[in-house]
Amino acid sequence: MEYFTTAGIGQQLNKIIMKKEIFKVLAKRFWTSLLVLFLLMSFLFLLLKISPGDPSLKYISPELSPKLAEMVKKSFSLEGPLLSQYKMFIINLSKGDFGISYSYRIPVVQIISNTLPFTIIFSLISFIIQIVSGFLLAVLAVKKINGKVDKIISKISLTVYAIPSFAAGVFLIYVFSEKLNVFPSSGLSSFDTDSYPAVPKLLDYVQHLVLPIITLSFNGAAVFYKYLRDNLEDVFNKPFVENLRANGFTEKEIVWKHIFPNALNPLISVAGVELGLLFGGALITEVIFSLPGMGRLTVNAILSRDYPLIIGCTFVAGILVILTNFCADVIKALVDKRIAKGILN
Amino acid sequence: MFFKFKIRQLILILALFLFCFRLNIIINTFILILLYIQVFINSPSVAIAQTDYPLIDSLISVIFLIVIIIYLLTIGKKAKVSQISINLTTVVIILLLSFFFFAPLITDDNPDFQKDLAVTKLLPPLSTVKVLHLKSNDNYGNNSTAKFIGLKNRLIKKSFNENLIFADSISMENNFLYYQNGSGILITPDKLVFKNNYPFITNKTFILGTDELGRDIFIRLIYGTRISLFIGLGSVIISLLLGLIMGFIAGYSEGITDTVLNRLADMFLAFPVVFFIILIIALFGNSLLCVMVVLGFSGWMSLFKIVRSEVISLKNKDFFISAQHIGLSKTNLLLKETLPYMLIPIIVNLVFQYGNVILAEAALSYLGLGTGSNYPSWGSMIEAGQNYISQAWWMILFPGLALFFTLFAANSLGRKISSLYKFQVKE
Repeated sequence: MEYFTTAGIGQQLNKIIMKKEIFKVLAKRFWTSLLVLFLLMSFLFLLLKISPGDPSLKYISPELSPKLAEMVKKSFSLEGPLLSQYKMFIINLSKGDFGISYSYRIPVVQIISNTLPFTIIFSLISFIIQIVSGFLLAVLAVKKINGKVDKIISKISLTVYAIPSFAAGVFLIYVFSEKLNVFPSSGLSSFDTDSYPAVPKLLDYVQHLVLPIITLSFNGAAVFYKYLRDNLEDVFNKPFVENLRANGFTEKEIVWKHIFPNALNPLISVAGVELGLLFGGALITEVIFSLPGMGRLTVNAILSRDYPLIIGCTFVAGILVILTNFCADVIKALVDKRIAKGILN
Repeated sequence: MFFKFKIRQLILILALFLFCFRLNIIINTFILILLYIQVFINSPSVAIAQTDYPLIDSLISVIFLIVIIIYLLTIGKKAKVSQISINLTTVVIILLLSFFFFAPLITDDNPDFQKDLAVTKLLPPLSTVKVLHLKSNDNYGNNSTAKFIGLKNRLIKKSFNENLIFADSISMENNFLYYQNGSGILITPDKLVFKNNYPFITNKTFILGTDELGRDIFIRLIYGTRISLFIGLGSVIISLLLGLIMGFIAGYSEGITDTVLNRLADMFLAFPVVFFIILIIALFGNSLLCVMVVLGFSGWMSLFKIVRSEVISLKNKDFFISAQHIGLSKTNLLLKETLPYMLIPIIVNLVFQYGNVILAEAALSYLGLGTGSNYPSWGSMIEAGQNYISQAWWMILFPGLALFFTLFAANSLGRKISSLYKFQVKE
């Protein structure tokens, strides 16, 4: 009896220590993430500074009086010694002040806050579809590893993975918009949606998003499937599975209670990276279907040399990427406490 | 029967087929080489002035074809590589390589060749047009230099040809008429080339159709292979060098260098690299070299991670320590002691990387940021096709298929090599 209680206390103490340790590790991880973000922004700053040409010249017409031209030039704040500019840049970043976009003439924060919700919803839907379809296919395949179904699905996933998404997107438009006329080919909503009641409005959005989501998701689904399946196969070949079988567990119990939890862990970090990249903007898909997302915003900013907007978009994308990776690590640490120490390296 | 074919037979069949099919060009090329040597002896300055990329390209492709046939018929019989049996992956790889090397021999026109837009615009696959040949006014004289230039102009295709007229149909009843897009145009017979008292008219078939500027898609596809494979190769080599050297430095020297390099790799891995590529190309121009270097710089991280972790684990092995104590330089340590150990994971990584780079290049061209404006490229072909989607599906389908097969081959090759590696490790 006594033995059990002391063991209980010991366990509780252990738990507290573990929690503290996890917290410590995660905090350290957070700081290194911030460091990465800082590096990223510094790199971007350097890149913009050493690039040839002056973006402000685009906005100064020769008819302007020299004084006014000088003022316009000053408003871009591209002058001055490099170090003081860098100082200003970092200070403004830490305040969350990205300045005013050159081409839109409104604060960058406002532009981004207009585009970001769409990107987040869009990429979340696509992400969920990728994960769920990859998972379901893996469940189908895992019933008999190296069986017929498994081989067929693996072949298909290899094929699907090799399809370039932009070619597929354009071809989907050809088939479903040009020939069958089922889904619209571009945009987020029809031109007269403002007058629609709520339900048809939603349906309109859905109709517009079917093709983009297919284009964005099929590659990722193949990746998730392949990753999960290979992990499952690895776990299947481990000795502990044999041991469980010898102990009389049913195959179903083994698969669901022991193999899946073990195989899921590496998947979480992959999913974190994938989601982060999606948040950064599904550039190709957005261009094909001319959707108002972060990817297209960033590229347009780059092409029109809108420095504040470039910096803002990069910063937001970087933050989102780091956040999703961080969340993935937290989930991983919660699922499997042995990992907590390994995260840092 | 089919599965017993080896790579050697396949390449040999393809090469001999090409050889017989283009015998005319090959013989003429050899005459051209003789003339070139003659010109070079007589007046080197003219020869150097006449030496340009298409000339060297076609010379090399012919010589390479002959060398390959001779090699396969003699020494190559026993080579291990040629004994691999063929499947979809190897067929695709061989086809791509032959497109890459023999593009001037396989195609019979310049990729940018365009003429008579009204007739050749947006033709569907396998459509045929009639070609009228006009008498050429070129008089080159009789000395060897003039002969050389004349033969060169005949042999090496240009993006224009004034002596051809493409027509939908031709009527010769009363006066000589050819029709272009519904309207008849009169032409006097004395301008035409005659053969056996009959005007010389040939058919030209566009196997995969034409694009919006009347250019042959098949030819552009084959030349597009060159751009894709070349950029892929260049940038993979750049990322190999970067990843190898930085990975070795990081793994070997621990401490602050390691941390900084590792964080740098993390930074590149964390951020969607596409935007950096686009940013750099938009800021510094989209020359071939720039695209190659940027793609190379964007892919070194995974290799860096592999090399770093391998070096860290190797560092405590006895043979490595003894090699260090013998006094091997760092280059030798890298090349002789560590590289053989991680050769296969590196190769696997490079093959996957190659597929990724080809896809990235095509995506860049699709966005209008690749080298597509200067050279035919699969991505830019798809991008052009998007504007004509309701009229010309072939403009998207064929480059898309080419890209798909290339990626498929790269992926399955990588998988095959890595499964080989796993097998070895288990043993």
